[in-house]
Amino acid sequence: MSRQGNRAGDPRKVNGELFTLTYGALVAQLIKDYENDEQVNKQLDKMGYNMGVRLIEDFLARANTGRCNDFRETADVIAKVAFKMYLGLTPVVSNWSTTGDEFSLLLESNPLTEFVELPPGHSNLNYSNLLCGALRGALEMVQMDVDVRFVQDILKGDNITEIRLKFIKRLEDAVPVGED
Amino acid sequence: MAACVAVIAKENYPLFIKTIPTENELKFYYTVHTSLDVVEEKISSVGKNTNDLRELYLGLLYPTEDYKVYGYVTNTRVKFVVVVDSTNASLRDNEIRTMFKKLHNAYVDMLCNPFYKLGDNITSKGFENIVKGMLQQD
Repeated sequence: MSRQGNRAGDPRKVNGELFTLTYGALVAQLIKDYENDEQVNKQLDKMGYNMGVRLIEDFLARANTGRCNDFRETADVIAKVAFKMYLGLTPVVSNWSTTGDEFSLLLESNPLTEFVELPPGHSNLNYSNLLCGALRGALEMVQMDVDVRFVQDILKGDNITEIRLKFIKRLEDAVPVGED
Repeated sequence: MAACVAVIAKENYPLFIKTIPTENELKFYYTVHTSLDVVEEKISSVGKNTNDLRELYLGLLYPTEDYKVYGYVTNTRVKFVVVVDSTNASLRDNEIRTMFKKLHNAYVDMLCNPFYKLGDNITSKGFENIVKGMLQQD
């Protein structure tokens, strides 16, 4: 096995721009393959879900956080540990609902969307929908059924990117039904 | 600062042209078109010499009584042409170089947009804003 020269640290690290361009190529190809934005959003969500159910294992192994006692702790762990570990940024947790089962993640910058400008005619496209699917998949594997959606998006003209997470129910016998 | 900025593809068709609002915009389009000959001459002549590294900045392509035309070619044969008013004598070579560098950076950023197809006309708002900044008459 050849040694990779001066590669120090985690050999799985990859250049940030390469990551952004890869994701961009993926979304552009999906747009060419599917006719409308809703389909693309659904596909991105599915792909994110499949990534999420696997990522959660890696996260739990590396993060060493114990069980979260309530949804607020979950929110903090997602924002401060998970996002930091995988995307290198820390979103702000805010907009808690009065019942305490809904919150927002505010991202000032999104590494997936550097250099991206949405073309005209695709205003319904949730470009970073993969993130939503991943969050949903990961939380499902820890017995939480959560609905994740984009509320605001810088690409669509808002000032900030906002993801809303709503706790639906606790899952018992959490074996996710295979998606076809 | 500049009177006209143009981006020309490697097949020599225009990807983007923007001029200051004036009645005779066609004059600028014509100038850019004729300057392409000079650009071709410059890039072909260096190729025939030794394997000299050609600099990206081509410098003053040709002066006329009203304005001066500057050129810049990237390694992928995408050309940037800038037309400046001759009366604006304070514009030094260095400033033109920085202008081209900014243009090149903006072009590269725009290329990274996954929705931009190579060879399409440039419609990116970000790129347009940078060019508008260069065209501002102070």
